[in-house]
Amino acid sequence: MPNFFIDLVTETDEARREFEAHPVVFASVANGMSVERYRVLLGELYHIVWHFNPICAAAASRITDEHASIRDFLYRHMHEESGHEQWVLNDLEAVGVSREQATAHRPSPNVLALVGFNYWASDRRHPCSVLGMLYVLEVLAAVYGGPFSATIRETLFLEGQRGTSFLSSHASLDAVHMAELRDVLNQLTIADAKNAVIESVRVNFRQITSVFGAV
Amino acid sequence: MNSPNSVGIASILSRPYKSIRLEWSSELSALRVRTCVTPIQCYSLAAMGELQRVLLDIAENQGLVKHFVMTSDVPGVFNFGGDLSLFVLLIRARDHESLRLYGRRCVDLLWWMETAAQIGVHTTVLVQGDTLGGGLESVMPFHKVIFERSAQAGFPEVLFNSFPGMGAWNFTIRKAGFAVANEMILSGKLYTAEQLHECRLVDMVVDDGCGEEAIEEAMRAVHPRLRGTLSALQARSIAAPVTYQSLLDIVDRWTINSLNLTDRDLRLMERLARAQARKGTQGVSEGAVEEIKRVELDRAWGEERTGITEWASL
Repeated sequence: MPNFFIDLVTETDEARREFEAHPVVFASVANGMSVERYRVLLGELYHIVWHFNPICAAAASRITDEHASIRDFLYRHMHEESGHEQWVLNDLEAVGVSREQATAHRPSPNVLALVGFNYWASDRRHPCSVLGMLYVLEVLAAVYGGPFSATIRETLFLEGQRGTSFLSSHASLDAVHMAELRDVLNQLTIADAKNAVIESVRVNFRQITSVFGAV
Repeated sequence: MNSPNSVGIASILSRPYKSIRLEWSSELSALRVRTCVTPIQCYSLAAMGELQRVLLDIAENQGLVKHFVMTSDVPGVFNFGGDLSLFVLLIRARDHESLRLYGRRCVDLLWWMETAAQIGVHTTVLVQGDTLGGGLESVMPFHKVIFERSAQAGFPEVLFNSFPGMGAWNFTIRKAGFAVANEMILSGKLYTAEQLHECRLVDMVVDDGCGEEAIEEAMRAVHPRLRGTLSALQARSIAAPVTYQSLLDIVDRWTINSLNLTDRDLRLMERLARAQARKGTQGVSEGAVEEIKRVELDRAWGEERTGITEWASL
């Protein structure tokens, strides 16, 4: 079986480590952040999560039968992720931001650029580039989500999963998703699709780093 | 004899590297690699790629480099070993092949050190801070291992149900014997430079701040009898062989074990990764070594008895 996953991990490892190396990310995972900054981060995250399924839908609608299994994967994934923006709203409420305030929050240019790129890439670059967005979000959740939510709980004195339900749940949920995504990525054989995914991973890591960096 | 790819020292030094810095001493034909991997001083894929490039350059320019020296530019840390974030990623992705590939890349670096005498290179390493797991494994095949007195080292992998899979068994047994290897690898304990010297894993311990001088002295001591020393070291490899195949077989075993780590094991690994990251932040001196000591203490006292440790919440 071809193993594109190895190539993807290797080709984009520098982008992942640049995210990890950003002073704000680095300090946040190690030492947490203030409640004010955590509120801003969740506010930004709300918009990213809100657009997740529409971007997947846009990509799925453009995927030809050549990649039918990837389209089917996206359908299942969208179903599983459905309503998760509500989890972010719950977390925002737990740290003192009402639903009205949260939904009224205007996303930063960094979030707009991230979301905008993913719509554009699904539409104009290659629909499989959406897998790059999925990979980045799942790496963030499966690798950094657990330590980050643990640090946030410790530093903000949050009990159980209150205030960190989105991050904590995805840290364990995405462990299963990562394995599924690896199988899906390994089905890619066409160079254009693979290159689009690699490009998308690099852009998504870069933009997510900018989102964190600006918080 | 140089290969068709030989490029000369100027070209070797001018390659653009991010995780390492090269220095050349023409007097002793010594190439020094200073490592500085951000944000955590560990063996990331990129850092290993850059090291591999340097080693390839040396091999392709035989006779040019006679001494290879490795040190760390990160205060208080030599190397934390494997890229724990990458391990978590690959384990959660159930990616057997990529884990194995990572292990094999580590083995390739070790193997270069193990066979350096065959290409006329004497190797020296100076450890001035914490070195854990793969970090300690990576120094063991060096011909001369120098530690500054405050440096600490160990194989903590057993604490999260793993084991050091890239040469620890082979090289510890060869240098210090079976009993020492058993004790070090199966206990997960940390050791001082002095303790490692007593069991012969470290060749020389010097006071803090005297490491640079010790490197110079070590190279100058061996330089006049370099050919004989390198021949003797090649003969040593025949007398007490470490085979490439045995290193690969252990990597395979390590890979299988890694995929069997539980969520609890991974969370402990993440805890150590967080501690590693903390050490890099400004003004924070506690890192993975202190965290490992806490884990050892938790274990010694029993999780349920204390009930107040982070370990209990895992």
